[in-house]
Amino acid sequence: MEPQQVDTLTGVLDKKMTRQLKQYLDICARCAICKDACHQYVATGDLTYLPARRAELIRQIYKKYFTKTGEFVPALYEARDPDESLLDELYESTYACTGCRRCMYYCPFSIDTAWILSVAKAILIAADRGNEMLGQLADAALMKSDNFDMFRDIILDGFKDIEGKVKEMTGDPSAEIPVDKEGADVLYVALAGAHSILPAAAIFHEAGTNWTLSMFESANYGYFFGDAEKARRIADRFMDEAKRLGVKEVVITECGHAYRVAQFFHEAWSGEKHPFKVRHILEVIDEYIRDGRITVRHGAITEPVTYHDPCQVGRNGGIFEQPRDIVRAIASDFRDMTPNREEQWCCGGGGGLVAIAEMEDFRLKSGAKKLEQVKATGARIIASPCENCRLQLEGLNDQLDLGLTVKPVMDLVVDAMEIRR
Amino acid sequence: MSEDIKVDLELDLKGLLCPMPMVKVSQKIGDVPVGGVIRAVATDPGSMADIPAWAKSTGNEVLSAGKEGDEYVFLVKRAK
Ligand code: SF4
Ligand code: SF4
Repeated sequence: MEPQQVDTLTGVLDKKMTRQLKQYLDICARCAICKDACHQYVATGDLTYLPARRAELIRQIYKKYFTKTGEFVPALYEARDPDESLLDELYESTYACTGCRRCMYYCPFSIDTAWILSVAKAILIAADRGNEMLGQLADAALMKSDNFDMFRDIILDGFKDIEGKVKEMTGDPSAEIPVDKEGADVLYVALAGAHSILPAAAIFHEAGTNWTLSMFESANYGYFFGDAEKARRIADRFMDEAKRLGVKEVVITECGHAYRVAQFFHEAWSGEKHPFKVRHILEVIDEYIRDGRITVRHGAITEPVTYHDPCQVGRNGGIFEQPRDIVRAIASDFRDMTPNREEQWCCGGGGGLVAIAEMEDFRLKSGAKKLEQVKATGARIIASPCENCRLQLEGLNDQLDLGLTVKPVMDLVVDAMEIRR
Repeated sequence: MSEDIKVDLELDLKGLLCPMPMVKVSQKIGDVPVGGVIRAVATDPGSMADIPAWAKSTGNEVLSAGKEGDEYVFLVKRAK
């Protein structure tokens, strides 16, 4: 590798070097407790996926270029150059990580391996080795906003098609999908798919919410790709819209990473405090049910239902009870998985993995722990508020022909909602 | 016009939720030769913006995109 390239890659690490990162790199005791926390290592037994081993690759560069001993006696400290072989290993272990942070939860020093791997992604991107598919999806999202005049009418036509279905669903010809509505209380940020707009529109309509739909989807492949600048710009699309419309609240659809980006990262990335609240749609729906703004029929579902905590909604987003309260309000037989909440197993579908074709076999294999958990509940329906999780759970279901139904929580709500007209 | 175009690969994306139709087109574009055409049929209205946006950002070409009943039909040409 050219010395100039080495400079570039170590420069990326230098730029990302905060006191916190340095501590993570210095402190690992190699106790390997994290190995039993990672669904990928547990399912494969492959050292590539052992959390501490993944982080070790960054630690090796750190030792060579950021510590005196590593610089002078590299062999003793396993210090390494970011050469092609290291980058190959780094790519494999980094883009496989779902960012579930279960390893951090169990690590005695709370080492955030997923954070270390976000630095690894920045290094890979600087070496032009970022994952191509995730990069393409991030660029496609920005293409829509950078050429908005070209896409505006197409997007609006799509919303009109969905609006017709909202009218049918609510039985109310005045039900609509408001767009670009100044003075709305809520800006709802869905995914590009109709499935994330339709049930929310019916629920907002029934609750009498003054809402408007964002022109942009909340999914953020810039985040999965590992490019903080692109990730910020993708989230800016709807954050700027929220500011322009003067809404009181941005509500993110049933998605894990989009919620985490909006709630926890965007202010830091943009250096600006949001002049509005950010909530997940399930926090809002739970409130509607508690306040009697919508009514759901208890016992509308009698088959056993379980709930999968998406890592970015649960462990990393802090939302555990509201979805359970909603499901319990509808289903007469709710069965939680073991373990659950903070300790919930990752299903294996996060991190953008569902979009990466070459990872499909590995991804499905890594869902072994999740399958065990689901089977142990005896549930026939799995409710989960994350698109990536649902795709993975459906993949596992199809592969083994389990005959389960995987549903967004919103769909259960709409099925059980009593329409008052 | 679309009848004159030779389709190299048919992709059934019905039932897939966005962004998966765009993801599938992207995954399969390498299966047709340069200059080759994919005909993709999706049912999610979001694909009408997603697939052209992906094509434009990757330098591929959407020859046509339109609604036929409840389906969205695309002809996508691999440009490089
Ligand atoms: S559990 Fe923490 S300290 Fe132990 S090996 Fe894993 S990352 Fe290192
Ligand atoms: S964040 Fe999750 S997938 Fe990544 S190393 Fe840790 S436990 Fe494994």
